[in-house]
Amino acid sequence: MNQDTENFDQLRRLLALKRHEQPPPGYFNGFSRQVIVRIQAGERGDGSSVLERLLWEAPWLQRIWGAFEAKPILAGVFGVAVCGLLITGVIYSDKTDATSVALVPGTEAESAPMTLADVSAADHPFLAKPVMLEPSSTNPIATAQTGESLLGDIGKLRAQPASFAFPGGN
Amino acid sequence: MLTMSEPATIPDPNAPASVLEGDLVRRARRGDLQAYDELIKRYQERIYATVYHMTANHEDANDLAQEAFIKAFQALRSFKGGSSFYTWVYRIAVNKTINFLKQRKNKAQMSLDDLDFNAEHDPDLVALISEKTPRREVGLAELQEKLNAAMQKLSEPHRMVVVLHDVQGLSHEEIAKIMECNIGTVRSRLFYARQQLQGYLSDYLK
Repeated sequence: MNQDTENFDQLRRLLALKRHEQPPPGYFNGFSRQVIVRIQAGERGDGSSVLERLLWEAPWLQRIWGAFEAKPILAGVFGVAVCGLLITGVIYSDKTDATSVALVPGTEAESAPMTLADVSAADHPFLAKPVMLEPSSTNPIATAQTGESLLGDIGKLRAQPASFAFPGGN
Repeated sequence: MLTMSEPATIPDPNAPASVLEGDLVRRARRGDLQAYDELIKRYQERIYATVYHMTANHEDANDLAQEAFIKAFQALRSFKGGSSFYTWVYRIAVNKTINFLKQRKNKAQMSLDDLDFNAEHDPDLVALISEKTPRREVGLAELQEKLNAAMQKLSEPHRMVVVLHDVQGLSHEEIAKIMECNIGTVRSRLFYARQQLQGYLSDYLK
C-alpha cells in the first residue's frame, strides 16, 4: 500500500501552491553578502564575548570546554589542580627569594640566615631614614627638617615612676 | 538558478559538482569567505524556503536562514564530511527552526510571501479553485492563507516532514538523514500530518 498516493493526491496538489510563494524580487541578490558581513562582524568581535571569540579561535579549547560542560567533575578536578599549582608556585617562589638574598656576596647574610631583626632601618619606610635634600632657597622648611621618622623616638622613650606625694598629706 | 517551484534534491556526492563543493568547503574551512559565499549562493534559496514554509513568516525566515549559514561557517571545522555539506547545513537550519518555533509558540504571526506569476497558471491549482470562486486571484490568496494556517496547526516535526517531502520534494531517505531519525518515523509522521491537513482543509479538497 503506497501511503504517498493513497487519498492524498488533492492535498499534494494543494501543497504545491507553497512552491509558488516567493520572497520579494531581488531578495537573494544580497543574501549571501549579508551573511558574509555578519560573519566578518563576528570575527572582529562585534557583539560577541571574549569567551566566544576564544572558543572560536581555539577549537581544542572548545573541546575542553565541552568536556567540562558534559562532566562537571572534570572542571572541579581541573580547578583543584590549578589551585595546587598556584600554591606550590607561591611557596616555591618564597623559598627562592630567601635563598637568593642569602647568596648575595659581600653581605653579612653569607654566614647567617636573615631574620627580621637584621632588616636595616633604611629598608623600612617607618624607621629612621636619612633624607638627602639639597639646600634650596625655595624650600627652606624642607631643608630645615631632619631625616628622622615619626616612629624614630619610640625607642628612646622610657617609663619614669610617677610621684603621688600630696602636699600636706601623709 | 534554481527556483522554489522546482522540487529540491540533495546533490549526489559522487557527481562532479559535489567535487567542487568539497573544494569550496575545504577553502571555506581555511577562512576563505569567497568560497563560503559561493556555498551560500548554491543553497540559500532552498534553506530559506524550508525555514519560510515552517515559520510562515518572511522576516523570521530571513533571520533564521542567515543564522543557519553563520553557525555553519563557525562550526565548519567540526564538519567531518560524513554527509554532504548540503545535508549538514540543512540539519543546522532545521534544528535552529524547530528550536525557534518551540520558543515562539503562541505568538505566531504570518507574514506570507507573494505568490509568483506561475501560480495562476498552474493547472492543478486552477482546478482546485475554479469550483470555489470565479475570481481566481482572490481564490489563490485565500487558499494560500488557509493552507499556511492549517500547516501551523501541525507539530513542528510533522510540519517539517510535510515541508521537506511534499513542498521541497526530498526523499524519505534524505529527510531521515536531515532529521536524524529512521525512515519509518519519516513515513509515519508524513502519513499522520497529511491526515491532519486533510481534515483542516476539507472544504478545499472535494
